[in-house]
Amino acid sequence: MRNNNSFRTTWLVASREIRLRAKTRVFVITSVILLIAVALAVALPAILSGKSKPDKIGVVGGTTTTITGIITQAGRLSGGQAVAVSEPNQAAAEAALRNGDLSAVLVPNKEIIVKQVPLGGVSGSVETLARLAGLSKLIQDVPGAADAVAQGVTLPVRGLQAPSTSLSSRLTGLFTIVIVWVLISVYGSQIALGIGEEKSSRVVEVLLSSVRPVQLLIGKVLGIGLLALAQAVSMVLVFIIAGFASGSSLVHGATLNVVIAGGVFMILGYAFYCTAFAAAGSLVSRQSDVNSTIMPVQLPLILAYALSYTVIYANGANAFYHVLGFLPPTAPIAMPVLYAAGDVPVWQVVVAAVLTAAGTVWMARIAVRIYSNSILRTGPRISFRQAIKESRSA
Amino acid sequence: MELEIDGLRRRYGTVTALDGLTFDVPAGQVFGFLGPNGAGKTTTMRAIFGVTALDAGEIRWRGKPVDEAARRTFGYMPEERGLYPAMELFDQVEYFARLHGMDGPAAAKAAWHWIDRLGLSGRGKTRIDSLSHGNQQRAQLAVALVHDPELLVLDEPFSGLDPGGIDDMSAILKERAAAGVTVLFSSHQLDLVEDICEAVAIIYQGRLVISGPVADLRRGGRPRLAVRITDDKTADWSAGLSPSLGTVDSVRPDGTAEISITAGADAQQILDLARAAGPLEHFAYEDRSLSEVFRQATGASVGQAEAEHAAATKAAQVATGAGR
Repeated sequence: MRNNNSFRTTWLVASREIRLRAKTRVFVITSVILLIAVALAVALPAILSGKSKPDKIGVVGGTTTTITGIITQAGRLSGGQAVAVSEPNQAAAEAALRNGDLSAVLVPNKEIIVKQVPLGGVSGSVETLARLAGLSKLIQDVPGAADAVAQGVTLPVRGLQAPSTSLSSRLTGLFTIVIVWVLISVYGSQIALGIGEEKSSRVVEVLLSSVRPVQLLIGKVLGIGLLALAQAVSMVLVFIIAGFASGSSLVHGATLNVVIAGGVFMILGYAFYCTAFAAAGSLVSRQSDVNSTIMPVQLPLILAYALSYTVIYANGANAFYHVLGFLPPTAPIAMPVLYAAGDVPVWQVVVAAVLTAAGTVWMARIAVRIYSNSILRTGPRISFRQAIKESRSA
Repeated sequence: MELEIDGLRRRYGTVTALDGLTFDVPAGQVFGFLGPNGAGKTTTMRAIFGVTALDAGEIRWRGKPVDEAARRTFGYMPEERGLYPAMELFDQVEYFARLHGMDGPAAAKAAWHWIDRLGLSGRGKTRIDSLSHGNQQRAQLAVALVHDPELLVLDEPFSGLDPGGIDDMSAILKERAAAGVTVLFSSHQLDLVEDICEAVAIIYQGRLVISGPVADLRRGGRPRLAVRITDDKTADWSAGLSPSLGTVDSVRPDGTAEISITAGADAQQILDLARAAGPLEHFAYEDRSLSEVFRQATGASVGQAEAEHAAATKAAQVATGAGR
């Protein structure tokens, strides 16, 4: 009976947050903008590539009608254009490939050479490779290509540079952590501001005459969290739908796993930070002080986020970044990046998720105590050190 | 007794807010909880709702210690008024009704009822921060009343109200009391509210000074006579008053002597004494004001008490280096 009442009260608090925020113009506009941005980010490269200049495929030792035909067909089938270019010898072809004049090189009877072969193999490939993969498939499927097969056109793919995780997987990792970062900091500061508002408007005193502090806190982070989750889920759906509709390579194989890992860490990250933001909000008496109290809470996120770019654009993460991947405050950003970059196996991702979940429980217990102790105190801003000290003795 | 305040103690650092405060509040009356600023009224009211911790003492409602379920049947208007500024009036009032356990339709019905009853008809869709100051006060009262509380606790409900607002507020308090609700309100303006409440508890420095029906307190153990003789601005005639008849408490600027009649004495003898001294202008039984009751009981005026409290608070802030 008591639990039932307690849940009802918490849900009332949560649903007020949802109703009040979901109908604000800011929420509607930012949701729409974010969804459009996601759709464009996914679909634009695929759409643009269809109109861009044709990819040149160098054929060592001169072109034949069959090979030219197959390359042209393959380009068309993969949604772009491809033309065959005759190359006198392999050295000249490789030089042209390095400086970007050619997208791939075909050495009949021997191999296909690209600049860099993705770590995940053919699936989750760069565009050029996707086309070449399509080319190999075409040779098997299209009647009349048997001659070409006989000439050995279905060939191993070799890269000029060392293999690495595909760029699309990395880009998806970047996309994921941008969303994790934006959602946690936007909704986290909404929690802190909302609690600052309750405290500075003094409505909290009326609330706490019928609601326990922990119900008020949980209701608030639950309501705002559900909104954040709804926004994240709709962004992922748009990502997948727009990806498939435009034929983007972002929705194949490994990249989808990156999105899923990002989703899990987005929820864990929110869970870890929401109570910390709430505690920060409870320390102020004026709403304008909120920005300065949430700064320390945001620092680990900012650190992990800033370092992520070095991992995404460089090959491999350093040891420090690997450590960040397992610390609960930084794991929500660092671990999806490490996973997207192909630097960690799945079991390490799971370990980091479990550690973050445990850290969340620990954080919530401290934060609830700070919140309960500070929420009814007026006067100047309370420092974190003071709040922690007092919450221990309370 | 419906509400029992029993031996409350609370210290904030070096400041003692409550020092063994004890009194009872009966049902069906408007009960005034009076005392100068800093006497401990707000701390007591917050303790009723569990938003401040007590060092000692107990608060009982209908014989049982106040718990969460009991508090859900209480209505509270805190000293520091507060509502969600960006929320519409109806949503706000309905939300608090539901937090107190009402279901959706009942909460909506009650919210509209109180919005209309408090003269806010047509403002249901107005944001709180767009309401005038007076209407925000009414909204706050609506929030305290919407779930039909059995105990209504209002901290300084009359502060900041104009005379019309004071009449409206006291009419609502009397109406609620007549409906059987226990109504407890605080005020530091003792004389302003003496006609509004039927019984009071007056406190000072965290302790009860006196409590009881207002009429009894104002009459006091020794009834009060006011006597004035023409052209005797200093009430010289009263020098001949024997303590067995009465004692002069004070002389007003117009020469009226305020006399407490000694128990068992005959007021006629005082009348005879005055008439012998000169033409009698005024002779009447009078009630004391509540601030005078306070002064007699504590030896300090309400104003002095508040000035002392302000100085002590400042000193405590300097000592601890914290403004609270």
